[in-house]
Amino acid sequence: MIEIKNITKTVRSGADDLTILADVSLEIPDGQFVAITGASGSGKSTLLGLIAGLDAPSSGEILIDGENITVMNEDGLARLRSDKLGFVFQSFHLIPSLTAFENILIPLEIRGEKDAKERASNLLQEVDLTNRGHHYPNELSGGEQQRVAIARAFANNPKILLADEPTGNLDSRNGQHIFELMTALHDNKKTTLILVTHDQELAEKAERQIRLRDGKIISDKENSQG
Amino acid sequence: MQFIFNLTIREIRSSWRRLLFFFLCIAIGVGSVVALRSLIQNLSLAVGTDARALLTADFEISSTNTFTPDDISRIESVINKSTLIEARNETITTAAMTRPSNATQEGLQFVELKGIEPPFPLVGTFNLSNGKPFDFKLLENKGAVVAPLLLEKLNLKIGDKIRIGEADFEIRATFDEEPGGQSGFRLGPRVFIEKKAFEETGLTRSGSRIRRRILYRTSDNPTPVVKELREALKGTILTVQNYRETQENMGEQFVRTENYLSLTGLLILVLGGIGVWNVARVFVEQKRKTVAVLKCLGADSRKVIFVYLLQILSLGLLGSLFGIVLAQLTMWFVGWRFGTELPEKMSYNLANSAVWQGMILGILISLLFSLLPLLQIRQIKPSLLLRDTNNQQMRRLDWTKTLFAIFTLGGILGIAVWQAGSWKVGTAFLVGLGVTSAILYVAAIILTKLLRQTKKFSSFSISQAVNSLYRPGNQTRIVLLAVGLGAFVVLAVQSLQANLVREFDFTRNEKLPNLFMVDIQRSQIEGVKQLTAEVTKEELNPVATVRTRIAMVDGVPIDYQQKEVRQNQGQIGREFAVTYRPKLEENETVIAGKWWDENPSKETEVSVVDDMARTLKVGIGSVITFDVLGRKINATVTSIRKIDVRNTRTVFMFVFRPGTLEIAPQTFALPIINKIPAVERARFQRRVIDAYPNVQIFDVQDILTTVTKLINNFVLAISFVGSFVMLTGILILIGSVSLTKSQRIYENAILKTLGAKRGSLFTILFTEYAILGLLAGLIGAFFATILSFAVTKYILEFDWEIDYGLILIGILVTAILVTLVGTLASFDVLFKKPLSILRSQ
Ligand SMILES: Nc1ncnc2c1ncn2[C@@H]1O[C@H](COP(=O)(O)OP(=O)(O)OP(=O)(O)O)[C@@H](O)[C@H]1O
Ligand SMILES: [Mg+2]
Repeated sequence: MIEIKNITKTVRSGADDLTILADVSLEIPDGQFVAITGASGSGKSTLLGLIAGLDAPSSGEILIDGENITVMNEDGLARLRSDKLGFVFQSFHLIPSLTAFENILIPLEIRGEKDAKERASNLLQEVDLTNRGHHYPNELSGGEQQRVAIARAFANNPKILLADEPTGNLDSRNGQHIFELMTALHDNKKTTLILVTHDQELAEKAERQIRLRDGKIISDKENSQG
Repeated sequence: MQFIFNLTIREIRSSWRRLLFFFLCIAIGVGSVVALRSLIQNLSLAVGTDARALLTADFEISSTNTFTPDDISRIESVINKSTLIEARNETITTAAMTRPSNATQEGLQFVELKGIEPPFPLVGTFNLSNGKPFDFKLLENKGAVVAPLLLEKLNLKIGDKIRIGEADFEIRATFDEEPGGQSGFRLGPRVFIEKKAFEETGLTRSGSRIRRRILYRTSDNPTPVVKELREALKGTILTVQNYRETQENMGEQFVRTENYLSLTGLLILVLGGIGVWNVARVFVEQKRKTVAVLKCLGADSRKVIFVYLLQILSLGLLGSLFGIVLAQLTMWFVGWRFGTELPEKMSYNLANSAVWQGMILGILISLLFSLLPLLQIRQIKPSLLLRDTNNQQMRRLDWTKTLFAIFTLGGILGIAVWQAGSWKVGTAFLVGLGVTSAILYVAAIILTKLLRQTKKFSSFSISQAVNSLYRPGNQTRIVLLAVGLGAFVVLAVQSLQANLVREFDFTRNEKLPNLFMVDIQRSQIEGVKQLTAEVTKEELNPVATVRTRIAMVDGVPIDYQQKEVRQNQGQIGREFAVTYRPKLEENETVIAGKWWDENPSKETEVSVVDDMARTLKVGIGSVITFDVLGRKINATVTSIRKIDVRNTRTVFMFVFRPGTLEIAPQTFALPIINKIPAVERARFQRRVIDAYPNVQIFDVQDILTTVTKLINNFVLAISFVGSFVMLTGILILIGSVSLTKSQRIYENAILKTLGAKRGSLFTILFTEYAILGLLAGLIGAFFATILSFAVTKYILEFDWEIDYGLILIGILVTAILVTLVGTLASFDVLFKKPLSILRSQ
């Protein structure tokens, strides 16, 4: 369960303060598929980053499974990410010096998993890239890179998967593929999935849709078919 | 940790190429330290630090005069009651001229003559060239055992006779190695004769420089006897030498030399450290995204830092190992190139202790210099993956960093002190290096600022080139510092050499004699003058010389019990040739006191050279007690002189006022200034020796050749080491080029899509490095000139001349080198296809 309590995020830009998120409160139960939409600059990525503890809010608190992550130090956050969180980014962010296979291996090795290699190759198989494992990111297409990123995100069986416009850099066919992969994994593993997207069509497929404007939630509705 | 280990290996796989230069910087630094240390250690082994073997005894008593009955009784009073003495012998040595006894055979040779008596040697072994042990019978009835070189020089063979002084000796054998070894500077090959026979040469009568020694072998540590002897001999001019003390002094000297020289290696290593720092800094900058991803995946800062630290340590280790290989190669090169000038028994293998030190140094330096940049990893925020902000907080200093900075500085200081073997020298080294680097760095900043001001470049390429010197993450200042430092060291050495060689270019000294005769007896002087005048047709001015030693200064005997005094023995305890004359010479100036008027005086006055006055701590009015063949003369210092050595024919530390020394036993020296052709010179020398066998003739030209060769070798050695500083600078340049390459590739791709031709891209590249090289050359040359001026003027204390040619060549060579290396290292950039680059960005 993710509890977001009255968080505000302001940054200094030049002389005055810029409010990016204003008093946002939200609860996301385990296993829910939430889509966050909104215009560019409305604060979607910022919200996602705060949930992951990538940044600290200016005020308010965020609890993940009852643990307040806003007061955690870097090491605590690292452990949290390792145990519970997975990420998928718009621009993939694979480590360029490692092969696809090794990229997937990283989170497993950080946790010190015994059967890391075996699990990594299973994951590779799940995203249908078995024979591309030894390739470096720059040898893969965007869609393929994103599939590796998804495999990496699911490697440590996260309770929560955070995805920031994972299809934004891909054409619609590839985007569709990625989306299906993520929802399938969500269904199989009962992962909480928080998806930031511009794509209204995709957002409609989520269980719940949250719309942001100027750092505020302007709508929060459960989708009927979700 | 498995994760850290795995990731380290994978990261090395992808980035070793970029870190290669880091690896080479460390390798060259470590190589220099190891090679220099090994060289000195092997040298000291080859020269022999076994003082007992060098002395061929446990202790000796030596004198430049015959031992007086008083001396003998003082010595015996101590020796007779000592239970330590095992054996004793006496030797007598001098330098003498020798020639074949056969008057028709040409040739003349300086030899070092040694008269010995059994048992000889007291310590060590003495084997002949034919492999048999030395037998004293060989010397009986005027036999001689000689170094093979003498046979070669005079074209003689065993069984031939040589004439030394007034006596003929039959060469009975040669030896390859004598007890005491071939150490130090020698005037000529060694000749052994019987001590009894020495008197028959007549050399002892003629007042030649003769040293007599009584040597003792003891059953135990000789120190107590030596102490007693010194006490008993106080006030005499006899000196007592204990092999243990000599051993200590020699050991200390070698260790000190080794430590100082290895500082040069450390300089290179620290410069390599700067390269490491630079690589680590840029590396972290470029790895920001990877670090952020790792953090996103749940790795904490410590783990990530460990990954990169481990990576750098592995490369540091590899670099050190490679450095050791380089050191061995250098040693073999030295053996091949300089083998003939180094001791025969010298080993060219690496010394174990040097290898260990090198390894430790290489790893420590890699660690210390990369730690601070790696700490930046802590400040990389994973949120940059969501929005790519320039992580501006990266530069901020915090407590941890300050702490680590202090730790790093402390570590480097520790290394410097450890390597120098002294707090003072180590600190001075680090401060000196710090100040020099700071000055060079500031100069680099100022120059680049100035360049930026002059924005009026008409050409697109040139203004692009200047711009790229300021691109974000540019390496301009670090390259200027590194290459500038290299140019600085090399040019400073070169400039010093130029001034040194000019100073010692005796051909510019018109007063410098061509030949120099010494030990001419009063009764011989007219004859010698006549003989010489026939050949050289010049006005001859013989100089009377009296041999003395300093017994006391202001009534205080020189205390050889004191360690410092013993170490200074060469300077004040030695025998001095002094003269007396009414006038100052042209090249002398009185700097304190007053020169006497020309009348002889019964009051004994002496004029002292400034350096000597400083060493003896005497001033006007001090009284120095001289010992002239046992007679004590008290002389009052009435003036202190300075000698312009460049325009001199003689250098007398002490000059007396006429009136006292005229009656003392004395010999004459005769400088011959006119040049005599080589063949005639040899004949003339032979004629003089035939008639006056005790006279010694120095061929100044020969000595000069030796000295010049010595200086040149010395300078060559320093330049060799200096060139490694330059090499490290160039490596840092290459490293910087490869570090910023991806950026340049990207820029070039954009410029290409905007329509820039390959030609103009090349011009930009070329111009950028030409400017960089020119600036580095300017900085290096400028500060090298200042250093060479300061050292020449204030430390070596002679005139300094600016050498425009050297400066110009220095700047040009640096500029060309940097342009060439920089352009070549980035050349492939020009041929990258823009599409692939833009797509992958
Ligand atoms: N560190 C920062 N400094 C200044 N402004 C920031 C910072 N982070 C975010 N912003 C601003 O906050 C606003 C929200 O940013 P955010 O990235 O969350 O938007 P977004 O909804 O993800 O937009 P997009 O759909 O374009 O990705 C933007 O106007 C952005 O400029
Ligand atoms: Mg966004």
